[in-house]
Amino acid sequence: MKKSIIFLIIYTTMFTVSCDTDKFLDQPLQGRQQLDDFFSTSSSAETFVNGIYQLVNGTNWNQVNFQRQINEMASDDNWAGNTRQPRPDITGIAQYNVFPGSTYFNLFWENHYIGITRANISLDRIPEVDIEEEKKQQFIAEAKFLRAFFYFDLVRNFGGVPIVTTYNEILEPSINDKVRSSVPEVYTFIEKDLLEAIDDLPLKSEQNSSESGRVTKGAAQSLLAKVYLFEEKWGLAQTMAFNVMQSGEYSLEPDFADIYSVDNVDGVESIFEIQYINNPAFPNIGGQFSITNGSRGDRGWGWASPTSDLENAFLSENDVIRLRSTIIKHGEPVFGDDTVTSFNGLPEENKSGRTNRKYYVPTDKRPEPYQRGQIPLHYIHLRLADVILIHAEAAYFNNDEPAAKSSLKLIRDRVQLPSNNALTGDALRDAIWKERRLELALEQHRLYDIRRQKINGVPRIALILGPEGSFVKYNTEVSTDPFETTNLLEPQNSGTLFDPNIHLLWPIPPEEIQLSRGKIEQNPEY
Amino acid sequence: MKYLVLIIGLFFLSFSAQAQNTVKGSVVDENNQLIPGVSVLEKNTSNGVQTDFDGNFSIKVDENAILVFSYLGFKSQEIIVGDQKTIKVKLTQDVAQLDEIVVIGYGAVGRDKIATSIATVTGEEINKVVASNPAEALQGRAAGVQVLSNGGAPGAAPRIVIRGITSPNGTQPLIVLDGVMLPASTSINFINPQDIQTMQILKDAAASAIYGSRASNGVVLITTKRGKEGKPTISLDATFGMQNIQKFKSAGAQEYINVMNARRINDGNTPDPNLAGFTGEGTDWWNEVVEDLAPVTNVNLRASGGSENIKYSASVGVFDQRSNLQIGFFQKINTRFNVDFKISDKLQLKQDVSVRLQNSENTPNILFNTLRVDPVTPVFVNQSERIGRNEFSIYGFSRNLVPNPVGQLARTFNEDNFNEFFTNTQLNYKINSDLTFSSQLGLTFSGWRRKNFNPEFELGPTQLRDINSVNDRIDQNFDYVFNNTLTFEKTIKDKHYVNFLAGALVDSQSTNFIRGEREGIPSNTNVDLRQLNGAEGEAQFVTGNQGTDNILSGVFRGIYSFDNKYIVNGSVRVDQSSRFPKDSRTGVFSSASFSWDVDSEDFFESEYINNLRFKVGFGEVGNQDISRDGQFFSVGSGDFVFGQERVIANFLGRFGNPNLRWETVRDQNFGVEMGFLNNTITFSAEYYKRTSKDLLFNVESPNFTGIPGLVAQNVGSFDSSGFDLQLGYNNQWGDFSLGLNLTASTNESRASELAPGNEQILGGRSAVLGNRFLKITELGRTVGLFYGFKTDGIFQNQTELNSHTSEDGTIIQPNAQPGDLRYVDTDGNGTINDDDLQVIGNPFADIIGGLTVNMEYKKFDLSMQLYGTAGNDVFNFNRQYINSGTQNLNVVAGALDRVWSPTNTGAEFPRLSEVDLNGNYQRPSDLFVEDGSYLRLRNLQIGYNFDFKGIKKFRLYVSGQNLLTFTKYTGFDPEVASGNNVINNFGLDFSRNPVARTFLLGLNLTL
Repeated sequence: MKKSIIFLIIYTTMFTVSCDTDKFLDQPLQGRQQLDDFFSTSSSAETFVNGIYQLVNGTNWNQVNFQRQINEMASDDNWAGNTRQPRPDITGIAQYNVFPGSTYFNLFWENHYIGITRANISLDRIPEVDIEEEKKQQFIAEAKFLRAFFYFDLVRNFGGVPIVTTYNEILEPSINDKVRSSVPEVYTFIEKDLLEAIDDLPLKSEQNSSESGRVTKGAAQSLLAKVYLFEEKWGLAQTMAFNVMQSGEYSLEPDFADIYSVDNVDGVESIFEIQYINNPAFPNIGGQFSITNGSRGDRGWGWASPTSDLENAFLSENDVIRLRSTIIKHGEPVFGDDTVTSFNGLPEENKSGRTNRKYYVPTDKRPEPYQRGQIPLHYIHLRLADVILIHAEAAYFNNDEPAAKSSLKLIRDRVQLPSNNALTGDALRDAIWKERRLELALEQHRLYDIRRQKINGVPRIALILGPEGSFVKYNTEVSTDPFETTNLLEPQNSGTLFDPNIHLLWPIPPEEIQLSRGKIEQNPEY
Repeated sequence: MKYLVLIIGLFFLSFSAQAQNTVKGSVVDENNQLIPGVSVLEKNTSNGVQTDFDGNFSIKVDENAILVFSYLGFKSQEIIVGDQKTIKVKLTQDVAQLDEIVVIGYGAVGRDKIATSIATVTGEEINKVVASNPAEALQGRAAGVQVLSNGGAPGAAPRIVIRGITSPNGTQPLIVLDGVMLPASTSINFINPQDIQTMQILKDAAASAIYGSRASNGVVLITTKRGKEGKPTISLDATFGMQNIQKFKSAGAQEYINVMNARRINDGNTPDPNLAGFTGEGTDWWNEVVEDLAPVTNVNLRASGGSENIKYSASVGVFDQRSNLQIGFFQKINTRFNVDFKISDKLQLKQDVSVRLQNSENTPNILFNTLRVDPVTPVFVNQSERIGRNEFSIYGFSRNLVPNPVGQLARTFNEDNFNEFFTNTQLNYKINSDLTFSSQLGLTFSGWRRKNFNPEFELGPTQLRDINSVNDRIDQNFDYVFNNTLTFEKTIKDKHYVNFLAGALVDSQSTNFIRGEREGIPSNTNVDLRQLNGAEGEAQFVTGNQGTDNILSGVFRGIYSFDNKYIVNGSVRVDQSSRFPKDSRTGVFSSASFSWDVDSEDFFESEYINNLRFKVGFGEVGNQDISRDGQFFSVGSGDFVFGQERVIANFLGRFGNPNLRWETVRDQNFGVEMGFLNNTITFSAEYYKRTSKDLLFNVESPNFTGIPGLVAQNVGSFDSSGFDLQLGYNNQWGDFSLGLNLTASTNESRASELAPGNEQILGGRSAVLGNRFLKITELGRTVGLFYGFKTDGIFQNQTELNSHTSEDGTIIQPNAQPGDLRYVDTDGNGTINDDDLQVIGNPFADIIGGLTVNMEYKKFDLSMQLYGTAGNDVFNFNRQYINSGTQNLNVVAGALDRVWSPTNTGAEFPRLSEVDLNGNYQRPSDLFVEDGSYLRLRNLQIGYNFDFKGIKKFRLYVSGQNLLTFTKYTGFDPEVASGNNVINNFGLDFSRNPVARTFLLGLNLTL
């Protein structure tokens, strides 16, 4: 009995001593840094800011890019296009039979806020990082630019949205009580971020080659000019655009076709672009649009096909140079791709048999395998021509017609189109708007432009779409386009359902309304 | 003392020698198996012997002697010897006594010493069902234990829910195998059902509190078979069967085309020209994909026996099941070797070793696509179009872009190997007659390899793979438990029974994995090249990680029984878990229970009632089942491009919660047990109420927070209550015996408290139904209800449309047309929006019941098991397309008769429309909710025992499973509508593989 108890005591003691209980019970996170430790290294500021950039175009086709394409489809420049696969969340929205629960609205909303939170964390933590002050200020300015970029995208699509300004906010339970801010409040916040960013960002010429793609002072000024334009702050928009034009940092590409050439990454005209490369080891650092937008007869998905209405707009100006670099048509050769003499636009599966040339990669420049996330064609968010046209439009509304006309001329000269110096008033305004359509066609500007541009207070989109809209009338009564009038699987009257009382904004995703327990309210009539 | 009895006995023996006869005989059980070790006693004397290894005995008795045969677990039998020289005795099992020793966690005591709620299912009952896994066999056998099917694919493991849902996160009970706590993810599938001696289900917290932090969903204790003293017994159990799944009646090509065109014409569009001129009925995908019969084979071999000092039990089980598709199988080999060594009178060693080898091919979940793919697409493209295509590219590219299911099957190459080595060593040392020290070490090593190959193919623009790839993942797990306990057990003055236990426990589970992926295997078809080093492409992907969960615990338990009338049990467990931050990692879980055995009281006298017992228990258990990383804010990494080069991009990968704490469940249990007419009729009823607080749940935050993924939170409290009822009847009339066991249980779990920010727990988001959540948990209501819009029939005409207005006269559905659904504007604001969302159904049954019938007549036996639920709803997601053809998906045969049209105004489903302006099929509504009650004949078995000389048992049987189902449910199978997360998925039917109907032929052979 005694022996047993001694044995037991020894046994139990051994067991207790051999086990360091704290070490046993502290099981640290494996394979991942913790946020609180992360910013202790000097490289952390840069790599964390890189993480914000990921959300500008998303790391997958559906996160943000595809909603941008759906926006194109919901304008007069594009059909939904793919008639093989009618989907309520794509084709339906293009027809203004808006499905609020669309996954693309949802992802667009969600991913922009993920980007905003990444920016907020950067702004919260980078001040403590041990790096040289100038770099620190630059990274903070980049985060502010990107945060402004995200809010600008949100406000243009959804109207007033909840504004989260700091990382600490989301750590508090009160975050769940947040409501939508008004549109002016969102714009005020965007302006503030951009004005602060402008001061600390480098010029493009000050960047070394490994930095190309990071935002510059010019990018912030250009975005701010555009923000002012959307706010109809004409004077500020004109001045800010002029700052960029006068900076000497950018110039128009002499050849229009080079803007979207695989061989012209970060060209002289580019102000803010997402660079894409082909590297099979990293499957999501290449582009998506060439596939999602490409013809179903050319290994693409066939979404967002240019309309004959857009083609007619080029033809009415005799704008050959830009047309051939904007639209590819079934059965015709592809400009800049000698190997294709008769393009397969697969009209039996595509509404218009047309494809966007700007996202097209010539056959001999394509990587193999040719697949999503691997296409090395950059995507431009801001370029000088856009800024010049912002300048022209702002100057016009700022009653500075001479400045407007000189900017307009810059754009037309490049593509060898004559300028009519006699234009004035509404005719000049319409010429600027048309130029904007042609110059920036299929670059994801159109829907925002026709929503904001107003004639006698009426948004232009209401004149283009709706039962009496010019685009709808053209398609249902005038058009003889051989492809569009034959493939009726996407109806000719697309856009009839447009209602200006509802459709100047997209619906707030129902998921968000449910998750916020109704505190985030739906846009009217949805 | 013993010697004295012996001497006196011998004295009497010699004294009455003249009048004695010698009686010989044997003792068998109900299955005619000889029983060794049966006590044979001459009544009212001390003259007794035991049967030998062969079950034979020989005893000298007086002329008028009465022999008493008794054996643990059997009813005693008295036989008047008279002038018989040989006696053959058949003992029948005593159901009441069989339960005598109950495993209660870190020990075992007599049934009459426990005051908690424990259900026992024996191995024999389990094997009556011939299930591939023991969980299926539990269905309907123990009240309050619900078994939810996870679909009929080979190897699919059902989920066990004990007494409803107390925790929103992970409802699997803890499984304890011969005293070893297994990892949380362990499915009960792992064990060979033939190895099970008993399964005990600790239903109330008074019973399970001894397992503390891992017991909140109940505990299942499995005890495996061990060797008995006696000659070796060798037995073979084998079954061979065929499985069959029900095919769905999808529309043929002509009906499909009619529906597609009707959708367009109703919208004012022209018919689809691409479908014009199609003749014939097209492809019957069900015939192409589903094979009528799939074999299932199960063979088990067991040997057991032993001497006084060494006892052994060894078994090998082989199981092989094929799916009803061309792809998918599950093969398993289980071996187990349990040995008991009696080293000395004080020292006993138990050593168990078990090995499991599992090889499987995952059954693709392809029925969803088979339902949806259009019938106008051929299985293969024409010969002429095959030129230049590889063998994986010759499949038809469907018109509606649903992947060709036959092509998908052809491209499925996966292999899944799981190997496990389990060893359990237990040393019991009797310090003195009352005090026992016990030390147990359980080790589990397992390795899991998953490999797949994706061939290069191209059917069309969205269905292609430019370069083939091979994927390989290897997981290694190592778990151990180390339990040291001291038990004091003593009966004082015959009336006071005390049993105290104290123990120190360690529980550790570690896992690690490595995964690699490469592209560009030079051949698409050469199977031997499908290795990572066979790839030549540039893309490479490697990842891996590891993790450990540790728990340190102390346990204390006391049992006191006074005169077997009043029983008090109490326990305390202290746990420290590595899953929680340092400040909140300690949890204390305690319990107390009391039982009163009324029939043992002197005042109790009844002719009919032989057992009456009341019990009441209180206890507290915990749950730590939340992601290991739940407390941490972690940084993820990815890629971006600057200067034409890839750069590192870091970001917040997981939003942590440093305030996480234990989830605890408080539980009260009240029960009564009764036995009538010497236990011919047994009855038990229990009522329980459980309150779980600080519930752990992964919560989705509003998206504007930019929080990636879900956040682990303590969200509030659930109250769960219900009744468990059990009624048994056992009787024998000559050669005929009958056993009936009826179980019924009810349960309702309500959210009684929800933390700020979690006032609504939403789950089951559906993209095609507008990214709305189909499940909601709200304060004061049943958890996990269906959520959506209420409808009120279909608009029959314009007048009805115009009169569907709010109080101020606003037309509520201006976009609707006759034939569309009328939605209920519950808030009366004149429009249908998110404010009108309502609870539209309850997936939980009002009552769940089971009936088991066992009959024997001479050498025939029959057993039958019925299982059913009543009052539960199913959200039949498939109604979204099978009646609408949305996105050109195929429809159910007869769809045109089901949908509204001006000539079919009584239809249940709204009109066909491509545009669907009313959103009939774009939002969740009660249109999708159906009654999911069902009654199913789970099992029917008829057997016959043959007599062969020298063979103890030779029984052949035929058995059928899931032969009949009575239900109004229109989907595949109401039983498959469960899902991984009981709150978020339960009751949602997304067409998983249905439960198969099985026909079996079986053999039981014992030598």
